[in-house]
Amino acid sequence: MNILVVLAVAAVFGVLRFRRASLLVWAGAWWVGLYLLLRFGFTVPIPSSVVTIYMGIVTLAIAAYVSSSDERRGEIAGPLVRFMTDKRYTASLGAAVIAIPALAAANVYVQMNVPLEPPLFSRTVHPASPAEITVGEKKVDLNAGENPFRHLETSNPDEFRGHVEKGRQVYYRNCVFCHGDNLAGNGMFVHGLDPIPTNFADPGTIAMLQETFLFWRIAKGGPGLPEEGGPWATAMPAWEKFLTEEEIWDVILFLYEFTGQRPRATEEVAEP
Amino acid sequence: MTTCLTAPRALGCLAGLLLISVLTTAPTQSVRAQGPDLGTEAQRESGKVLYLQYCSQCHGEKGDGEGYASSHLRPRPRDLTSGKFKIRTTPNGALPTHQDLVNIIRRGMPYTSMPAWPNLSDQEVSDLAYFIKTFSADFANAENVPQPVPLESGPNATNESVELGKRLYEENGCVKCHGTLGRGDGPSAPTLVDDWGHPIRAADLAQRWTFRGGSSREDIFRTMSTGLNGTPMPSFQEALPAEQRWAITDFIASLSPADGPGYENLVVARHVEEAIDLAKGAESFASAPPARFPIVGQIMEPGRSFHPPVTGVTVQAIYDADSIALLLRWHDMSAEKTGTNGPTLPVPTEEEEEPAAGAVAPADGGGSGGDPSANPFGDQEIAEPPAGQVAADPFAEPDTAPASRPSEFSDAVAVQIPSQVPAGSRQPYFIYGDAQNPVDLWFFDLARPDPLQMTGRGSESVEPNDTGDLTGVATYDQGEWSVILKRPLRATSGAAFAQGQFLPVAFSVWDGFSRERGNRRGLTAWYSIYVEPEVVPSAVGPMVQTALFILVIELALIGWVRWRNGSRARTELGDEPSQLTATRA
Repeated sequence: MNILVVLAVAAVFGVLRFRRASLLVWAGAWWVGLYLLLRFGFTVPIPSSVVTIYMGIVTLAIAAYVSSSDERRGEIAGPLVRFMTDKRYTASLGAAVIAIPALAAANVYVQMNVPLEPPLFSRTVHPASPAEITVGEKKVDLNAGENPFRHLETSNPDEFRGHVEKGRQVYYRNCVFCHGDNLAGNGMFVHGLDPIPTNFADPGTIAMLQETFLFWRIAKGGPGLPEEGGPWATAMPAWEKFLTEEEIWDVILFLYEFTGQRPRATEEVAEP
Repeated sequence: MTTCLTAPRALGCLAGLLLISVLTTAPTQSVRAQGPDLGTEAQRESGKVLYLQYCSQCHGEKGDGEGYASSHLRPRPRDLTSGKFKIRTTPNGALPTHQDLVNIIRRGMPYTSMPAWPNLSDQEVSDLAYFIKTFSADFANAENVPQPVPLESGPNATNESVELGKRLYEENGCVKCHGTLGRGDGPSAPTLVDDWGHPIRAADLAQRWTFRGGSSREDIFRTMSTGLNGTPMPSFQEALPAEQRWAITDFIASLSPADGPGYENLVVARHVEEAIDLAKGAESFASAPPARFPIVGQIMEPGRSFHPPVTGVTVQAIYDADSIALLLRWHDMSAEKTGTNGPTLPVPTEEEEEPAAGAVAPADGGGSGGDPSANPFGDQEIAEPPAGQVAADPFAEPDTAPASRPSEFSDAVAVQIPSQVPAGSRQPYFIYGDAQNPVDLWFFDLARPDPLQMTGRGSESVEPNDTGDLTGVATYDQGEWSVILKRPLRATSGAAFAQGQFLPVAFSVWDGFSRERGNRRGLTAWYSIYVEPEVVPSAVGPMVQTALFILVIELALIGWVRWRNGSRARTELGDEPSQLTATRA
C-alpha cells in the first residue's frame, strides 16, 4: 500500500465528515476517493482494465445507495436541479456545458493518438515441461530424474567442485553473451533480445525450479518450448547441438553455485 | 566524491571527477616523488579473490588475457600483464592511474564483452584494481608512477567549433582510419591490428554509443588526448592544443545523437503517391520515419558469430499502389563486392574460435601502429615526446588499397517475413522459420546485381524460390551500405502486406570482410512492420461528433429539468414566488 495516498484520502473524508457535507458531495467523494486508492494506493499497479471493472461496481453501488429512498433521491437531485435552474449558477452552468464536451473531445483525441504498439504476445515464462525428453540417444525423465552429479556435493566434494568448475567454463564460453558475467541476464546482446534472457541471480527464477526443468530448457532451448512459451521468438539455443549431456548438468551446478541458490526440492508426500 | 562513485552511470559526474583529480594533481609535478600506489597486502588479497571469481574466465588466472572464454571474444580480453590499458587519463604509452582502472571496471566497455560492474562496492573495485596492478611489474616501478595529463574542460559546442573540428579532423589524418564521415571506413581501416597482431576496427565515430571509453564529450576528449594504448589510436595531447582537440570532439559528437541509438521495435511503411522507382534510390524514402534495430550475433545455430561487426540496421519503408519497398542502411568498414555469399554456406565450427595471440604473426609495431605501439613503455620518450610526431607517425604508412585483394565472401543482407500472414500470435521461428511455419527471405548478395527470394523452413532448409517478384538496388558510399528491396504488396510468395496491419519482420547482415556467411552473421529478433493506411483518419471528425453528442444530451437534460421545475412551480403558483422568478429567468 502506498500509505501517503491512503492517508490523504482518509483525511479528505474526515474533513467532509466534520463539515457535514451533503449526500451529493459524499457520493462524489467516495467515487473519486476509491478511484485514487485503486489507481495510486497500491505499490504494485493494478491493470487499468481491472480498475475500470472495479469503478463500474463502485458506480453501481453508489447509484443504488443514493436512489434507495425518496429522501436520498431528493438530497441528490436537489442541488443538481438548483444548479441547472437557479439564476445564480448560470455562468457556471454555461461553463460546465462547454467543458464536458470539450473534455470528451480531448479524450477522443488522446485515444486516437496512442503510439503504435506491435501486437503483444503474453507468453508463459515457465511453461510445464514434458515428462520426458530425448537428448542424443538418451531419454531423460524430467519428473523423477535428478542431476547425476548433485549427490557428489556431500559424497565427494572435490569431484563436485571439479564439475562446478567445468560448468563455469561452459558458461563463460557459451552463455555469457546473453545471461551476462554476473548471471544477471544482462549480457552484451541483451539490447537485441525480446524476451530477455533469464536473470539467474533473481531468487524468483532457478530457485523455484528443479534441475531437470533447467536441463530441459537448456537442452531444447527456445524451439523446444510449448506454444504458450512462444518458441518462435526466444533466442535460447537448443544446447544439445553444442554441449554434451554432462556439460549441461555441470553448467546447471554452476548456475546454483555462483548465485548461492538451491534447486527446488522434489515435493515429498506428507505422512498422513 | 564517494557519492559520485556510487552512481557509475553518471558520466558527467565521472568526467567532473577526472577533471578534479587532474586539477589537483597535475600542477604538482613533485608528486612523482610519491611512490607507486600499490595498495596493502590485504587489499591485493581481497582483489585476488574477486578477480578469480569474476575476471579470470576472460583475462586468465595469470592476467594474460587468455582465459578459457577468450577464444570466443572479440575484441580480445586485455592482456593485463602488458601494462597497456586503453582508457586512461595518462600520456600515451603510460600506465593508467588507479582511478582509471577503477573507472573502467565500474563502467565496462560498451559493445564488447567487458561488462560494467555496478554491484561491486567502491572498496571491492579498488581492491580489484590493486590486484590487477600485480600482473605488470611496471606498476611497482617508481619511475612509472602514472601522472594524469591536464584535461581542460571545454567550451560548449557551436556550429563554428564543429566546422573547425571537421577541418582539423581531415587535416590531422583522422580520416585515414575513421573515414570522411567517421564511419570507421578509412582507407587504412582494414589493415589495422593491435599490438598483439589481432585485427582491430577503427571506431565508428558516427555511433558514439559504441565507444569503448564512453560517449560523453569529456570521454571523447580524453580518448583523443591520451590515445588508446595497445591500438593504433594515437594521442593528440602534444600534437594539438586543447581548443583544437575540443573542436574535433565537437565534430565527432555532432555525428550521432548523444542519447544513444534509440532502438525501435517497429518500422512504419508510409504510402507514397508516386510509383516507387528504384532508380531514384533513397530519395523516395524522405517521408518515411527511420527505425534502427539492434543486430546481435547469430549464436543459436552452429557456425556462431560472437561479435558481428555490424551493430545495427536502420530501416525505412514506403508503399505505392502495387509495391512495398524497404531501405536498409548499415555501416560497413569496406564494401566486399567480390566473392559469394548465401544463407546456407557452410561454416566450419573451428571458425567459431578466434586464433590465440601466439597463432597470429606479431604486429611488431608494424601494421599501421607506428611509434606509439612500438614503444609501449617508452616512458622516457613519453616524458619528452617530440611535438607532432606522436600524431603524425600512425599515418606515416602509405595509403593502402584494402579492396585491391578480391574477397572470398561478399557482403550480403536479408529481410525475413513470414510466408503467410500469421494466424493469431504464432510466428515462424525467428531464425529462418521452422517446418510448419516457413519464412520468405529477401536475400541480396551484394556481389550480384539482383536479390533473390528464398523460402526458409529452419536453418538446415533454405531453398531458392525465385518468382521474379523481388527487385533491388544496392549502393555503398563512405562506409554505409544502402540497399533497397522492392516487392509487390501481394506477391506469389511470402505474406501479403495490407493497410493497417502489422507483419513480423527480421533482418540479417553479413560482413564479407569478417568472413561472415551462412550461419556466421549478425541478425535481429522479430520486429514489426506496420503498413500505415493510405489515409490516416483525422481525429477532428470523431472529436466534433463526440462533443456535439454530449452537448445535445446536456441541453436536453437541462431543458427537461427546467421544464419540469417550471411546470411544478406553475402548479404551486403563489406558494414560492421567488423560486418562480428564478426559474423563469
